[in-house]
Amino acid sequence: MRNKFQEQIQRLKAAGATYVDARWYPVEETNQLMMWNGNLKTVSSSRESGVGIRVLYKGAWGFSASSDVGNLTSLFDKALDNARVAAERVTFPVRLAEKESIQASFKSPNRIDPFSVPLGEKVEFLKKLDEQLNQPGVAQRVCELIFMRKQIVYFDSEGSEIEKNIIEVFPSIQVMGVDAQGESHSRKFSPSLSGATRGWETLDPHLFSENAERIVREMNEVLVAETCPTDQRSVILLPGIMYLQTHETIGHALELDRILGYELAYAGGSFVKLGDFGELRYGSPKLTARANATLPNSPGSFGYDDDGVAAQDNLLIDKGLLVGAITGRQMVEEANVRAGKAIFNGSSGANRATAFYRVPIERMTNINIDPGSDGSLDDIVKNTEKGIILDGDKSWSIGSNREQFHFATDIGWLVEDGKVTRVVKNPTYKGETVPFYNSLSAVGDESTWEVRSVDNCGKGQPNQVMQLGHGIPVCRFDNVTIGE
Amino acid sequence: MKELILQTLCDLRAYALSKNVDATFFYHEEESYLMRFANSAISLNTNEHLIRLEITAYEDRKRASYEMITDLSKLDEMKQGVDIAAEMVKHAQALNYQPTVPAYGETHIDETSYDAALAGIGNEERLGYFNQAVAGLETDEIRLSGIFSCGVNTIAQITTRSEHLQYFKSTDAQISVVLSHSTLKWEVIAEQSAQKKTELNPALLRRDLAFLLERYLHDTPQQLPVGSYDIVFGSAAIAELISIMNYIGFDGGSMKRGFSFIAEDQVGQQVFSDKFNLTDDPTRLETFPFRRDMTGMSREPFPIFEQGIFNSFTWSQDDADEFGATPTGHTVMHNSLVLEGGGREVGTLEELVNLPRENDLLYIPFLHYMNIVNPSKGLITASSRFGALLLKKDGSVAVPYNVRITQSLSDIFGDRLAWLSRTQTVYNTSMSYGARNPTSIVVPAFLQVNALEISHSNSSY
Ligand SMILES: [Zn+2]
Repeated sequence: MRNKFQEQIQRLKAAGATYVDARWYPVEETNQLMMWNGNLKTVSSSRESGVGIRVLYKGAWGFSASSDVGNLTSLFDKALDNARVAAERVTFPVRLAEKESIQASFKSPNRIDPFSVPLGEKVEFLKKLDEQLNQPGVAQRVCELIFMRKQIVYFDSEGSEIEKNIIEVFPSIQVMGVDAQGESHSRKFSPSLSGATRGWETLDPHLFSENAERIVREMNEVLVAETCPTDQRSVILLPGIMYLQTHETIGHALELDRILGYELAYAGGSFVKLGDFGELRYGSPKLTARANATLPNSPGSFGYDDDGVAAQDNLLIDKGLLVGAITGRQMVEEANVRAGKAIFNGSSGANRATAFYRVPIERMTNINIDPGSDGSLDDIVKNTEKGIILDGDKSWSIGSNREQFHFATDIGWLVEDGKVTRVVKNPTYKGETVPFYNSLSAVGDESTWEVRSVDNCGKGQPNQVMQLGHGIPVCRFDNVTIGE
Repeated sequence: MKELILQTLCDLRAYALSKNVDATFFYHEEESYLMRFANSAISLNTNEHLIRLEITAYEDRKRASYEMITDLSKLDEMKQGVDIAAEMVKHAQALNYQPTVPAYGETHIDETSYDAALAGIGNEERLGYFNQAVAGLETDEIRLSGIFSCGVNTIAQITTRSEHLQYFKSTDAQISVVLSHSTLKWEVIAEQSAQKKTELNPALLRRDLAFLLERYLHDTPQQLPVGSYDIVFGSAAIAELISIMNYIGFDGGSMKRGFSFIAEDQVGQQVFSDKFNLTDDPTRLETFPFRRDMTGMSREPFPIFEQGIFNSFTWSQDDADEFGATPTGHTVMHNSLVLEGGGREVGTLEELVNLPRENDLLYIPFLHYMNIVNPSKGLITASSRFGALLLKKDGSVAVPYNVRITQSLSDIFGDRLAWLSRTQTVYNTSMSYGARNPTSIVVPAFLQVNALEISHSNSSY
C-alpha cells in the first residue's frame, strides 16, 4: 500500500505538481456513551477509513478525498484537476516554508487502550457516577465518555513518511437544577490532564467521585443565590473559564491564516496585524503565553503536524509582548512576504486536519499561559479588594475580529476585602481583548495551573472539529464589567 | 444507483433478520463540492464523496448504534457492522422507557428536492458565478473571500420491522461572497441559497455588494454610543434568531430538560407579538424538506406560533417516548421553518435605505457568534457584522463600527416588533461539519424592532 502512495505522488510530480501529500487513515474510531438521568441514551461507535490527497499546482491547492482506496489513480487525478481550476485564480502563489524530510512515528502515551475496555465496564463507570449525582436539587444529570483512536500515515513529495497512532479520552459530568424563579443552572466537571498518559487509566473514580459531590453542592448553592450584580470589579478566572478566555481571545486570534484573512468569510478575522509582532503590548508583563505541542498527555500534542513538521514549544506572548503565532508552512511564507521581513522562522508545526476528508489548516496545539508568581488562589483572593471568582463555561461570544467578548459562567463567588463573601447566579463578564489582557494583575503559581482539554473546537469551511489543550493558571483582571 | 442503495438496505435487513437482530438502517451519501476563496484567490477547491451507514440495534429497552464510512461494494463490511451493533446492544443498559423501533407502512421515495442541473455544475461554473458576483468590484484594497458549497445528498432507510423503505434525494448550494478591506478589517457580504440551478443569481449578490461597498468605501465610520436603538435586522440575522429557537424554544425535549424559555403551560398563550407567525412547512422545497420524518410519519405544515400565540412544542419520537408525549413528525435532520412576512413593502437593501423614517435606524444584517447566555430567559448575545448601516432620520447613511446586543428573544419578537417585510428570503443555515445536511430558513427580508439596547460598541473595525 505504501509503495502505491509513493508511486502516485511521483506520477503527479511528473505531471507538473510542485508538491503532493497523502494522508491515509487505515482506521479512525470513536466510541461515545452518554447517560442522561440514568438512561443510557447513547451507546455509539463509529469507524472510518480513507485517504485525502493535497496537491500544489502553479501556486494553488487542490484536494480530494475518498473512503475508497481502491482507485488511487482517479483520486490523485481529481486532486490535481481541482488544483488546476484553483490555479486560474491565484493572487499569491502558495509556497511552503522549508522543512526537514522526516521518517518517523508517534504514539500518544497510553497505558490502557480504551477500545480494549469492555463496554459493560464503561457502562458501570457511568452508572456509579449517575447514582452519585442523583441528589436533592438535581433535575438533570449527564455523564459522558468519548474515546477516539486514529491511525494516520502521512507521505509527501519531499520524502517524508510519518505514522501516527493517537488515542484520546474525553470524560465529563454535569448537573442541572431549577431555581425558585424557574431558571436552569448547571455545573459540570471534566478532569484536568495530569500524569504522562492519556488512556483509560486517566479516569480516576475517586477524582470523579469527589468532584461529583462538589458540583452538586455548588449547583445547589447557585439555586438559592442572588443574581450577579452589575458593576466593575476584578474578575478572578479559574481554569474552568480561563481556558476558554485563552482559547477564544489568544488562541483563535493568533492563528496566522485568520490574521491573513483566510477565515473572513466565515468565523471572522483577527485584530492582530502583521506589524504587531514584536510591537503590540497584548497584555501586562504578567502574561506569557505559548503554543506547546510537547505536553505528553494532551490532545494538543500529536508528534508531527499534517505538513509533516515536528511538534514544538513556541512563545506567543512574552511578558506581555506579542512575539509569535500559530502557523503552518504556507502561511509563514505568505506572511513574511507580505510584511516585507522575516517575522516567522519556518512553520511552528500547527497545521492539522480533523479527518482524512478535510484539508489541514492552522489549529491550536496546547495554548498555555505560564504560571506566575502571585501565589495560590487563596493568596490572590486575599489581595483582592473587590472582585468575583468565576468558573464554568456557560456561554461565549466573540467579536468577528476577536477584539471584544462576552462570557457567561456557571457560578460566581463575590470577593470583598480579601474574603469570599457569597455565591451569585447568572454571572457574566465582558471586555475588549487588548485592554483586558493589559489589566491582568495577578497570575497564580503552579498550584493553580491545570491542563484542560477541548474536544470540539470548530474552524474552517468545510468545518473541522479539532481536539486540543490549554495549560492555564488562575488569572485576575482588574476593572472588568460584570453582570451585563 | 438508487436501486443499488435500496437493494443493499434490503440485503442488510435480511441479514439482520437472519441473525435475529432488531435494527434500523440509516444510509447517508454525499457528493460535496466546496470552492473557497480568500484574498481574491481560490484558497481551497475540494470535493468529497462519502457514504455513511448507521445501524442501530434494539433489544427490548436497550439500543446501541454503530456508524461507518463505507462503500456500496462492501456489503460484507456492512454486515459486520450489524454484528457489531448487535454485540454492543447486549452490553447496553435498559432505558426507563420503551424506545419505538420505526416500521414504515409504505415505501416513500422523494426526489422532488433534487435538481439534476444543480447536481451537474462543475468547477468552471462555480468560479464563473463568483467572477460575475464581484465583477468590477475587486481592487488591490478590496479582496474577495467566500464559499461556493454545493452537493447532492441521499438518505435511505429501512428497519427490520417492515420491508418498506424511505429514500430522499436533494441538491443544494450555499454561497457566501465577501468583500473585505485589506487593511481596515471591514467586510461586506452577500449570500444565497439554492435548491435548483435556475435559482443561482450572481447579479443579485453583485447589486447588494456594490451598494454596501459604496457606503463602506466612502463614509467615515463611527462608534455608536451605547443605548437604545430602533434596529432593522436583515435575513441572515433573522434566520439566526429563529434558528436558535430550535434549541431553546419549541423543542419538547429541550423544554422537559430545562433548556427552553417557553414553559410547558405556555401552549395556547401569547408569547410574541401578534405579527409573529412561524410554521414548520415541509411543502417549501427551498428548505430541502422531509415530507416524512425518519420514523415514517407524514409531515404537513405545522404551525408553531400563530399571531404570536404559541401553538405547540415539536416532539421527536425518542423524546416523545421518554416523556410520554405524542410525536409530531419531528424526528428529522432539520425542520423547514418559515417565518411569515408582514405588511411592509421593503424587499431590497436599497428600498430599506430609501424608506422614510422618523428615527435613526440601525441596520444589522448579520449576527456573529450568537450564544445563549440564559436559556430559561431566551437571553442571547451576538455582535453585528458584515455591512451594518446607521440609517439616519434625515435620510443620510453612516457606517457604524460593530456593536453587541445581549437581549432576550421575547424582547426581540415581542411588543417591540414594529414590522416585517412582505418579501421573504431563503437563508441557508447549513453547517459544514459532519454529514451533509442542507438546511435553510425562509424569513422576511427585513424586520424592525424598536428600542433594543446596544450593550457594547467598538471603537474601530
Ligand atoms: Zn475554538
